[in-house]
Amino acid sequence: MSSSKNKRSRIKPILYNFLAFSMAFILFAATGAIILKATVFSRDYMITTMGDTGYYPMVKDEFRTHMKNLGHASGLSDEFVDEFTEEIDFRMEITQYIESFYSGEKTLVNTTSFKQTLKNKVNRYIEDNHIDKEKASEADIDYMISEATDIYVRQISIPFFSVIANYIHNLSTPLTITIVVLILLAAGIGCILYFTNEYKHRRYRYLCYAFTTAFLLDTIIPSFIFITGIIGKVNLATRSLYSLFVGYFTGMFSYFYLFAGFNLLMAVVCFFLFYTSFKKAIGKA
Amino acid sequence: MSDHHHHHHSGSHSMHGKNFIILPLVFCILILGICYLVAMPKLSTYVAIAKGFFSDNVKDFSDEYRNIFVPIAEEEEEPETSGSTETAKPRNNKTVPISSIEFPRYGDQFGELIIEDCQIDVKFFFGDSRKELDYGVGMFTGSFIPGYGGTIMVAGHNNTYFNKLKYADIGQKVKIRTSYGNYTYEINKIDVKRYTDKTSYDLDAKEENLIMYTCYPFDTLGMTSKRCFIYAKYISGPVIDKNA
Repeated sequence: MSSSKNKRSRIKPILYNFLAFSMAFILFAATGAIILKATVFSRDYMITTMGDTGYYPMVKDEFRTHMKNLGHASGLSDEFVDEFTEEIDFRMEITQYIESFYSGEKTLVNTTSFKQTLKNKVNRYIEDNHIDKEKASEADIDYMISEATDIYVRQISIPFFSVIANYIHNLSTPLTITIVVLILLAAGIGCILYFTNEYKHRRYRYLCYAFTTAFLLDTIIPSFIFITGIIGKVNLATRSLYSLFVGYFTGMFSYFYLFAGFNLLMAVVCFFLFYTSFKKAIGKA
Repeated sequence: MSDHHHHHHSGSHSMHGKNFIILPLVFCILILGICYLVAMPKLSTYVAIAKGFFSDNVKDFSDEYRNIFVPIAEEEEEPETSGSTETAKPRNNKTVPISSIEFPRYGDQFGELIIEDCQIDVKFFFGDSRKELDYGVGMFTGSFIPGYGGTIMVAGHNNTYFNKLKYADIGQKVKIRTSYGNYTYEINKIDVKRYTDKTSYDLDAKEENLIMYTCYPFDTLGMTSKRCFIYAKYISGPVIDKNA
């Protein structure tokens, strides 16, 4: 009887350590899933990051630069381009593009209004500048508008967005379910650790292990990303996309610190409770 | 059974403080190891693709360009035959060792292009993207730098730096000044072709020649598929010694 009791007392710590390990793993997975839900799967996060990184004015400026370049090849003056581009138009078009991305629709840039406005403005430009019809053929104007539209689409759209749009829409609900399941699992293991341990200080010891591990994981990963500076080394064609990418992923990985803070707090609380209950036990001894 | 009983029984009052650091660290390493082993085989393809989107350095989006052009003194011009309609003949030229040349990087200004008869005097860039053509004219990097003995293909916008190419005529001299030598070419052909027409240039030419091109017609509104090609033959300038 004494031998089986000894065996049980040897197995129990291993079992509880394994449970603490599992809880940490699940907490870490839940953190990752929650961060994904709050960032990649969130339309608001994208819109907020665009605002914070100055994406809209940058897109407008880049469009203006490309249009001026097009003007140098096609005869449009710089002043024409300056009058033509308004930040609010880009803001609205980009927001609509993002909306369609998160609603699972086809992520296409609507160019109808842009083409029509440009055509009208070019016609007025021809009239105002008394340009001969010979020097502004319909075909050449159409070709220019088509080139300008391509620039517009490139500025509004985000590379690979249309590829991942479908996944984002389809995975949103399963991700929410995964988060709930993971949280319930972590809570379940926490309850097992708490309620099946007959000694108070042991309950807190294993919970402390789990939260400390989760804290370490949530700290190591973003720290590694930030120390290596990998986000800033992304090779993107435009400054606006670069700033958006850096802001987006910096924000995303910073969320890990938020969860690391929570886990650290829980670990400290558990350690304090462990310490007081342990002292109490020693005091009684 | 109480806490008191247990500790008394085990004969130790240690709170195993080290475990609070060592065990979470071990757990942490184990979890990262498991994640790596489980995820990497499935994600390795995506990771390899993703690596292609990253470079070693932070990208520079500045609109400024590097200028490596240091003008060198013009050699004495050979006296021109007055009133002659004959075209100039190539002179014997010095060579310049390739090892002594600072080869331009994409986007660098490494010279000037001058056509006095057309009042063209513009910066000459290595590369012909938007940025270069905003500041001057640029050579296609798939062609050759002056002196190398191949085709030099130079682009410019027809409403800015190459607008005055409309005044180009056969026999006019084109000068390209670089830090390693000053070159002279002579316009010997002007043609208008579609930009898709690959017969308009020969990048495999064995003789040094210059091709300047811009959109055509000049001073019109709208984009066009036509390009004005100005061909010029090599007259003078140091030949790059590729073995030196």
